[in-house]
Amino acid sequence: MVVGELCSPAIFSSNGDESMKKKRRGGFIVACVAPAVILFIIFMIIPTIDVFRMSLYKWGGYTANKTFVGLENFKKLSQNPKFYQAFQNSILLIVIVTLVTFCLALIFAAILSREKIKGQNFFRIVFYIPNILSVVVISAIFSAIYDPNQGLLNSFLSLFRGGSDPILWLGKPKLVIYSVAIAMIWQAVGYYMVMYMASMANVPESLYESASLEGAGRLTQFFSITLPLVWTNIRTTLTFFIISTINMSFLMVKAMTNGGPDGASNVFLSYMYQEAYTNSSYGYGMAIGVAVFVFSFALAGILNAVTKRDEIEF
Amino acid sequence: MKLKRVLCVLMASVMVIGTAACGGGDSKDKDSSGTEGTEGTDQNETDGAAENEGDAGEDAGDDAGAPEEDTAGDDASADDGPADLTVAAVETAYGADMWKEICAAFEESHGIKIDLTVDKKLEDVITSEMKSGVFPDVILRAVGAESGLTETFVKDNNLVDLTDVLSMTVPGESTTVGDKILPGFVENSIANPYGDGKTYLMPMFYSPCGLFYNQGLFTEKGWEVPQTWDQMWELGEKAKAEGIALFTYPTAGYFDAFLYALMHESMGNDMFQEALRYGEGVWDTPEAQTVFDIIEKLASYTESTTPANANDNDFQKNQQLVLDNKALFMPNGNWVIGEMAEAPRAEGFEWGFTALPAITEGGERASYSFFEQIWMPAGAEHQDLGKEFIAFLYSDQAAEIFAKSGAVQPIQGMTDKLEGDNKLYYSIYDTGAVAVMDAFATTDPVEGITTRSTFQDPVNSLVTGDKTKEDWINQIKSDCEQLRAALKE
Repeated sequence: MVVGELCSPAIFSSNGDESMKKKRRGGFIVACVAPAVILFIIFMIIPTIDVFRMSLYKWGGYTANKTFVGLENFKKLSQNPKFYQAFQNSILLIVIVTLVTFCLALIFAAILSREKIKGQNFFRIVFYIPNILSVVVISAIFSAIYDPNQGLLNSFLSLFRGGSDPILWLGKPKLVIYSVAIAMIWQAVGYYMVMYMASMANVPESLYESASLEGAGRLTQFFSITLPLVWTNIRTTLTFFIISTINMSFLMVKAMTNGGPDGASNVFLSYMYQEAYTNSSYGYGMAIGVAVFVFSFALAGILNAVTKRDEIEF
Repeated sequence: MKLKRVLCVLMASVMVIGTAACGGGDSKDKDSSGTEGTEGTDQNETDGAAENEGDAGEDAGDDAGAPEEDTAGDDASADDGPADLTVAAVETAYGADMWKEICAAFEESHGIKIDLTVDKKLEDVITSEMKSGVFPDVILRAVGAESGLTETFVKDNNLVDLTDVLSMTVPGESTTVGDKILPGFVENSIANPYGDGKTYLMPMFYSPCGLFYNQGLFTEKGWEVPQTWDQMWELGEKAKAEGIALFTYPTAGYFDAFLYALMHESMGNDMFQEALRYGEGVWDTPEAQTVFDIIEKLASYTESTTPANANDNDFQKNQQLVLDNKALFMPNGNWVIGEMAEAPRAEGFEWGFTALPAITEGGERASYSFFEQIWMPAGAEHQDLGKEFIAFLYSDQAAEIFAKSGAVQPIQGMTDKLEGDNKLYYSIYDTGAVAVMDAFATTDPVEGITTRSTFQDPVNSLVTGDKTKEDWINQIKSDCEQLRAALKE
């Protein structure tokens, strides 16, 4: 509309007029875009730059006393075993949660959208419910499941192994991170399942018909038709997986274990929180923030490059 | 069409202006302290008690015997016009009303106007203003809170020297503040964080920490409360035969008060003070070894599921073990009684409270005394009036207002006025227990190391067997080296 009207001969009667109109048009566009740009700069760009800037200071976080220390915070970070522990835990969660959630979500989505099962809608809702629960509720549910004495899991396992020596799901340093991972997978499956189902619904039925006429079984259909055609969607969700695992793991850990026992379940952001807000080391915390920022960007970039395929049209 | 364009531009500019307006400060409006939403996570000072750094049980204790907990933060100043004094206090189990009353009383006696902020999440309310350089004149927030507000001010040397408050006369009385405060409460490394003989944090409400148990069970079984650790282990065997564990703990954070008291028993005051300053070689001494040996042994007597519930969510399950007669002792403070008031319990249950057993027959028995602190940030504008206000807090009039809410100050004659359960806990020092009040010395912030993760958290790993005593000692030694290098002179 705008272009058509601006270009009407009545308006562009002379060259001078034309350039003036162009200017006005430019001004108009700037005015329209400005609010979004300003908001973006104030709430995204400046805070991000601030994180990078603050990571170069020694600062307690509450007062104006800051000392510039250059890259000292990063040096300390690289020598700190607790940071590496948190790093390991985060990577472990990213790998396990992504892989398991991805497979489960894809399988459930394929079954629910391709197969005719009784109570399809019921299952859709059931799978999606964990996603609308708050993290606090989820952590309460899982602390009931993991309870060493009356918990669901130990009660069930005691059928096979006897109840004399309960497994401490949240108490054993070597076990706790897997317990967190299970809760995260349970929480995430429904969300990704719905995303995959949405894109599977777009695959034309005719493709499946002709495939089955040519004798392709369900599995072949899944790998040769469904998977390639929802590939773009899968790539997008892989980036989501990284971002959401980093964020969700903080919430889960904070609500379920607060990093314990003995720091064994600390992840990137819980360790950052601990340093920035409880150890009077805000600058150091921001250095961790920078490391997380760089890491997640790099990982998302790598994943994007590795999963690049020629887009298949249908 | 023109109209459309004008409209578009107008809307765009409204959004731009809106954005700018959002960024503008509304500094006047700071005393909005409605905290209805924070109930679940209120940082209860009294229970931050047990954990002097980092702190997990933080969210733990509600109502340490305070009746009106839900009167969320409010502020006293209703009138307009600048206040003569700004006071910020964290709302703990004692409630917010006592602060309103105190300020009203001070306003009346001094004819000034106080701007009071009381909030369960005090930091969230005052931090933004502090970052822009506007500080409350007086702040009540103890060390040991998860936010580390007080520690940060101490570490940044950002406090007003309050030594002269000690020689001030309590308003309306004839004694000085220093004479009125019980001995020990200003001569320790918390009140006097830089070790230079100057007082920066004034002691406010205190509560003794020790071992809690079910007196009813002891009476029923005819067991004696152990006086020494040897008797403790004997009792541990007896209890084990009955399927009861000797020991449990809410979270590893509760080992701070426990560890201080145990170190004091074993090391004596001089070496204890040296250990608090991360002294070189102090962890290799036989006295320190005794401490580690006792904790290692205690870990082996600990109820086996304890570490699984030793987090902010589930710590009450550990406390429940004592109520259910599944464990005999737990380290705690008297807020636990309010915390577990609604919990089911074994028949004949009755709270019992004791200091730590002595290491040798007739040796010292210690109980850590947690106290909250009130202090002034260096950026405080009305320093003289602030000091006058602090002095007023030690008057009989103020003490009475505080005591009504269950808050007990360390001032002369207070314990005589106590009644009921409170008398039992506060009289622990009258029955021969030594009060320990110090804490690990203040350092410049050491990135990656907290006393919590060095001294307390590893207890969980000791219990599960994932760390040995030697691992723990080595970690303490290497962390202490870094902390020692960062000590404040």
